[in-house]
Amino acid sequence: MVGASQLALIDRLHTVEYRTEADLLAACRGRDLRAFEQLYLEHGPRLKSIAFHILASRQDAEDAVQETWVKLYRGIQGFQGQSSIGTWLCRILINTCYDLARKRQREVERSAPVAERGAEPTAPKNQLALKVALDDALRRIHPKHRMVFLLFEVEGLRHSEIAAILEVPEGTSKAWLHEAKKELKQLLTETPR
Amino acid sequence: MIFQCSDLERALRTPELLPEMRAHAARCETCGRQLYLWTEISRLAPELHREWESPFLWERIRSALAAEASSRRPSPAWRWMLAAAAVALFAVWLARPWQSGSARDLLTDAALQEVQQTEAAYTHSIDRLSALAAPGLQQSPSPVAAVYREKLVLLDSAIADLKANAENNRYNGYLQAELASLYRDKQKTLRDWLTQNAKRN
Repeated sequence: MVGASQLALIDRLHTVEYRTEADLLAACRGRDLRAFEQLYLEHGPRLKSIAFHILASRQDAEDAVQETWVKLYRGIQGFQGQSSIGTWLCRILINTCYDLARKRQREVERSAPVAERGAEPTAPKNQLALKVALDDALRRIHPKHRMVFLLFEVEGLRHSEIAAILEVPEGTSKAWLHEAKKELKQLLTETPR
Repeated sequence: MIFQCSDLERALRTPELLPEMRAHAARCETCGRQLYLWTEISRLAPELHREWESPFLWERIRSALAAEASSRRPSPAWRWMLAAAAVALFAVWLARPWQSGSARDLLTDAALQEVQQTEAAYTHSIDRLSALAAPGLQQSPSPVAAVYREKLVLLDSAIADLKANAENNRYNGYLQAELASLYRDKQKTLRDWLTQNAKRN
């Protein structure tokens, strides 16, 4: 469902001037905040979702997105345009999320120990249960495999884009996706103890 | 090819084997369940995309970018002009052409000319004093005269050394001040000798 604020954002998106990525990039290099806003409108929702899956917190996800835009602002002059700006943003975001996740991990280690993550996944009885179990299982698979699954299956990126974001060959992206699905299938097949 | 349960993993990697796998899965409950999960994972995955409203996020980002911009913005022209004026004032203060003597370390052309004129006048005055003092000083056998002679030799030697240094470093105010001090010392020594010699006579 699209909320009122999103409708307002979409409305504003239609009024901004940058019609091509080259125009947008030129404006970003000129430190035009409207260009950064257009990038936010175009890529923000997807990046928030990716960040949420890595950090498991909306607040942290928003912090990561904010930090991503600050890094973009600082580094836009060095962006050569070999990949799309979306790919580059995604790469910045993922690195930012990993940094933030490490920071949060250190904070957790310094504070009281936390309980073990949920119990073993229950065998899915229906679609909702399967979706919940899948969401839970996704957090338990190999991080690289999870990232490819997230980008390909959840966010709809192509393997060529994922390969550029993760800086791996396209074949590796495909192989990791297969491994991810295999691990997920295994976890979903496990019966409750 | 006769599809068997052990072929399932390979078939999941190879889309060409999909029809045979489906046919096998229809008869095999275990493989059927595996295939069901495999396809459901991909079907349900897009539903894991999370979206929520963040009405203040862009404003936060915009503020952060604005703060970043202000920290990077070059100083306005008036700030550069102010800094340049401060540097110029400091340079003038270092030269201090309005001062004379020991407090000045660096000299401007005008100040150097003034110092050299003063030095020439001093030298001329000292030469006249030397001419007056020389006959009595050189001929006197007294130990006091010997002390004065020795002191004047030392002062002349020091003046010669300092003049050589000052010639190589003409704008060094410190050397010029030291030289002036030696001249004053020599002048005072000659006057003292003349005064004492006059009293004695």
